Amino acid sequence: MRERFASGFDPFVLPFLIGMIFVLGYCLFGIVRILFQLSREDRRRFLLSLVTPRTALKNIWDIFANCLLHVKLWKRNRMLGFMHSSIAFGWFMIILLGHIEVMIYCPERVRLLYYPIFFNYFVAENESTIGGAVLFFLMDFFLLLILTGITLAVIKRVRSRIFGMRRTTRPSALDRVGLYSLWAIFPLRLLAESFTAHISGGSFLTIPANWVFRQFLGNDLNMLPTWWAYSIVLGVFMVVLPFTRYMHIPAEMMLIPMRNAGLRIRHPRKGFAKVQVLSCPGCGVCIDACPMSVQKKNIKDCTVYLNRQIRRGNEKRIEEISDKCLLCGKCQAVCQVGVEGPKLRVAQRSARRYGLTPDYSGLDVSGLKEAARGGKVLYFSGCMTRLTPSIGKAVTSVLGKAGVDFVWMDRDSGLCCGRPLLTAGRIDAALGLIRKNEEIILSSGADTLLLSCPICYKIFTERYSLPGVRVVNYADYFNELIQQGRLKLSKSDICYVYHDPCELGRGCGIYDSPRRLLGQAAGIAEAPASREESICCGGSLGSLTLDFKDREAMTRKSLDNLYASRADAIATACPLCLATFSRYSERPVRDLAEILDSSSD
Amino acid sequence: MDSRNILIIGGGVAGMEAAKQLYRLGYRPVIVEQSDHLGGHVAGWFKLFPDMLSASDLISQMEEGLDGVDVYLKTRVASMNRLKDGFSVVLSNGTGLLCQAVLIASGFNLFDASRKEEYGYGVYDHVITNADLEQWFRTGADPRVPEEPSTIAFVHCVGSRDLKAGNPQCSKVCCMTAIKQAIEMKEKFPQAEVWCFYMDLRLFGKKYEDFYINAQRDYGVHFVRGRVSEVSEDIDGKVMLKAEDTLAGTQVKLKTDLLVLMAGMLCNEDTSSLAAMVRASVDSDGFLRSRDNIYRINESSRPGVFFAGACTGTKTVPETVAEARAAALDIHNYLSGND
Repeated sequence: MRERFASGFDPFVLPFLIGMIFVLGYCLFGIVRILFQLSREDRRRFLLSLVTPRTALKNIWDIFANCLLHVKLWKRNRMLGFMHSSIAFGWFMIILLGHIEVMIYCPERVRLLYYPIFFNYFVAENESTIGGAVLFFLMDFFLLLILTGITLAVIKRVRSRIFGMRRTTRPSALDRVGLYSLWAIFPLRLLAESFTAHISGGSFLTIPANWVFRQFLGNDLNMLPTWWAYSIVLGVFMVVLPFTRYMHIPAEMMLIPMRNAGLRIRHPRKGFAKVQVLSCPGCGVCIDACPMSVQKKNIKDCTVYLNRQIRRGNEKRIEEISDKCLLCGKCQAVCQVGVEGPKLRVAQRSARRYGLTPDYSGLDVSGLKEAARGGKVLYFSGCMTRLTPSIGKAVTSVLGKAGVDFVWMDRDSGLCCGRPLLTAGRIDAALGLIRKNEEIILSSGADTLLLSCPICYKIFTERYSLPGVRVVNYADYFNELIQQGRLKLSKSDICYVYHDPCELGRGCGIYDSPRRLLGQAAGIAEAPASREESICCGGSLGSLTLDFKDREAMTRKSLDNLYASRADAIATACPLCLATFSRYSERPVRDLAEILDSSSD
Repeated sequence: MDSRNILIIGGGVAGMEAAKQLYRLGYRPVIVEQSDHLGGHVAGWFKLFPDMLSASDLISQMEEGLDGVDVYLKTRVASMNRLKDGFSVVLSNGTGLLCQAVLIASGFNLFDASRKEEYGYGVYDHVITNADLEQWFRTGADPRVPEEPSTIAFVHCVGSRDLKAGNPQCSKVCCMTAIKQAIEMKEKFPQAEVWCFYMDLRLFGKKYEDFYINAQRDYGVHFVRGRVSEVSEDIDGKVMLKAEDTLAGTQVKLKTDLLVLMAGMLCNEDTSSLAAMVRASVDSDGFLRSRDNIYRINESSRPGVFFAGACTGTKTVPETVAEARAAALDIHNYLSGND
């Protein structure tokens, strides 16, 4: 081993050095800024989680698995998974190996940022030593891996369909600069290392390349220009990085620990929301997933474009996109980074100021309290069930058959659960209703609160504080009744396909219980897109601006997916899905409770 | 006798009247009707406003004019193909026809009230539609109608003027039908309180306004301007409804023994496939598109294809009859011009 330059410096490292210092400074400044934007409590929680061994280990593992290996992406799409992990993991390994090389051969240079990157230019080592042979082999191996990934990336840019993506985002001008410089980095590194391979050593890639070049480029004058080029593209990439979608690389490393610390979006633009927006890689997986994308005019209203508009500060479009969304949560379910599209939108909505804020504190609920007393189980059907009275009728009929001691809390009149207000971003108003409902439920003396509407169920589990009262969804509860032998079923011949309502499935993570219930009462089939991939019925309360014509197209798309299962009828577990599907469905649509009621005795 | 055939699709009042007139003009009309009787929706009605004429009398009177006309009941049009001077038609019973002109008189479908599930049709025991009530007037047999109702409520505009139900247009006849039925119920049950919940009362026809005034002054029917928001059922099976009284600015809660839903008119669902066979066009409201809506309502955009009655939009019985006669004359002129 010998160092080729006593000074350990050459001007060609400057572009890289400038880029590196810029991006490090930018990120450091950004981290400090975001930390200050967090509320005092959140900041404490976050910093504490960083030093708690359990969360710290989880952070390291999650960053390794998601940012480098892209495990989640592998599960979804192997081609894309390979492409991303080969570039990310390969690059990481090259940087790591570069540092190891420096630490082995010239530990005094380790403080120089550029030394590990341009090691082969500054240090002449021979592959004949065992250390050199192994290290150079690994270097070439990972470079080959990256080059394969880059080749795939180029193909994907031209024909995204090969990778199973129907639609993808249009990169902005700066994104293109970042993209092309990223593509150029690794072929240039191969060239640069090949030109120096006869001096500094190489392996299976660089030595043959060196030999080929020497056949017709007989001198060493090509060496320095290629190292310059390599340094320049690295510099360009790092300088534009903060202003392109590649910002997701550093941002995701911040997002993962923040999510693991249990932070929530509290401000529409600052703190955690900011990190989420920056973490969006702009891949566009959410475009195909979004139920609104059946209409071409809505394509630019999915989460990837929300993030882009928030980064640009385009207030008009931010408002439009935030208000239109159905909040079905599918973009979040398919998002590789885990950007919480629906919550981000609700946060934007909550920033709006209204002239009038309803105050429910003076509402007299003594009559409602009276009506709720006298049962072990309290059944809350919710407003939507008033539009689909068959559900309430079926639920109470099943409860009667099982001999449950229950009271129908909002049979004659009741208060809204607060979820529509919450999704509209009117959090204070929603909390007013929540407090009133809590008062009614806690004074009733019941120990179980039964819900047949998943829209209500979600807010009851997330926002209500009901000590001593078990909040249970009817699918779970009916399964228990069957297990206890209180409900006898006779299986019907009709085959149903179960539609996962957004609020129950992606919203509350309940997928198996309704299927188990349905399987005992009737035949069951699966639609091609189901569970986390279920397609919103289009009736969601989440959207503030979509009209019936727009929603019809979505409902029909969702129905087509259900028809594909070839079941006789459609089953669902949400009054809103039931009402929406019934409007256009060619096949009968029924709620779980109705099916259960007709096959029990 | 002219041997030229004219295919009439639909044997309701429009088809029957047109057939009678064409027959008198010397043509050979052929009525194809998918149900097992002539008269269409009117045959299911008891009395017709504003003269309270018996619907069955009207239908039998119209049937008398059809002596000599070919009528195919329980038959549908399987295919229609345009020839150089006419149409080749195949019916579902296998009969083949050559005809010189086609009159589409396929009428309307009643809105399926169970699609407005919040009104509880098919869910609660005492909720019926306007058509069910007429049926009950005729037969007296419907377990949903109580023996001695003390309160009866009518809901206007069920599936009409309702974007959510996918039908934004007015069905035209239901306001008047509701008033007529309210009066009839009041005559049967003078002790009962009768309520009508309406959005607007559209009483445009001859003597309609008189009916409205009579209903209030002589029969004491209550009219509440406001939509019904929800309907539920109490323990003894009575129907509870909540509505808004927009004139008084209050909420109304009513317990009734019988709830009647004024289901609106939608275009017959087979009409679009019929239109496709002769390449006639369908309008944005789902009804057939006339050449214009003022002067040539009976004419389609295709030669030899004519329309009559509610297949082009919601209509009352007298309007339908008048249109059928006009269509017969249009066809006569068309065929005379061909000679």
